[in-house]
Amino acid sequence: MATRITISKIEDVEFGANLPAFEPDTSLAIVKTFATLIGWDGARFRDHEAARKEGLAGAMVPGVLSQGYLVAMIHQWAPVAEIKTIDTVFRAPVIADEPHFITGVVTDINEDEGLVEIDLTVANEKGETRVFGTASVSLPA
Amino acid sequence: MDADIEELREKFLDQAFDEKTFYVDPAVTIEYARLCGETAGRFLDKDHPDFQAPPTYLASLSGRRSLPIDFPRFGIGMDAGKGVECLNPVRPGSTLTGRTHLHDIYTKTGRSGRMVFVVSRLEFFDEGGLHLANSDSRSVIREK
Repeated sequence: MATRITISKIEDVEFGANLPAFEPDTSLAIVKTFATLIGWDGARFRDHEAARKEGLAGAMVPGVLSQGYLVAMIHQWAPVAEIKTIDTVFRAPVIADEPHFITGVVTDINEDEGLVEIDLTVANEKGETRVFGTASVSLPA
Repeated sequence: MDADIEELREKFLDQAFDEKTFYVDPAVTIEYARLCGETAGRFLDKDHPDFQAPPTYLASLSGRRSLPIDFPRFGIGMDAGKGVECLNPVRPGSTLTGRTHLHDIYTKTGRSGRMVFVVSRLEFFDEGGLHLANSDSRSVIREK
């Protein structure tokens, strides 16, 4: 079984490095449970047919869940990383029950301040970007 | 900058228009973290010495209104994105105060005309008044 190497200090981070691939669980069951948890009762988050009646391709993943996937990916890569800022743009709907892939690239390292900047993308199987954003995280020296 | 937008900025930016309290339920923040795929113990284990809400949990909270009551209606608004700035950890079991103001108003013009972007900022404070985080919601309004 492969061992995933995690980052524990800023010296371990390389400029331009790709974070390990992360495939979020976008199943409708997860999406419905999440929508209920945060009180978002819209049918578009619960039912593919109802969402299609609203003109969507299927039930959609709430944007804040996509944002949560991005942060989870960062913590899988660097469990001790503290998120300082995360900014996301919801470019197109993330459709439940469809595979999506999250990528992250280190775009800046500030060792003096202990900060790393990461560009993040959620894409579907066709490679179409659905959500993108940037996070600034702090790591110990 | 367009004169009408400049006028809106002068009238509305940095003026708090809503305040609401939020109880941070530990069971909810743990489930929130689990559903997002979090693996770090400080978000999943209530007995962890640094137990805290996941950073983006606050983005799921909203005030009673996202725009001032007298803000003009340009057209239909759509969710254009969200941002969170974490200043201090949010401790489950605590009660937060959230105050909302407009943080930015700007425009972009494309082939289909002008679009107005409005950034609504919800600032969160703990019971002692410590500023914990900011949650920004960006709306884009395509003019009618």
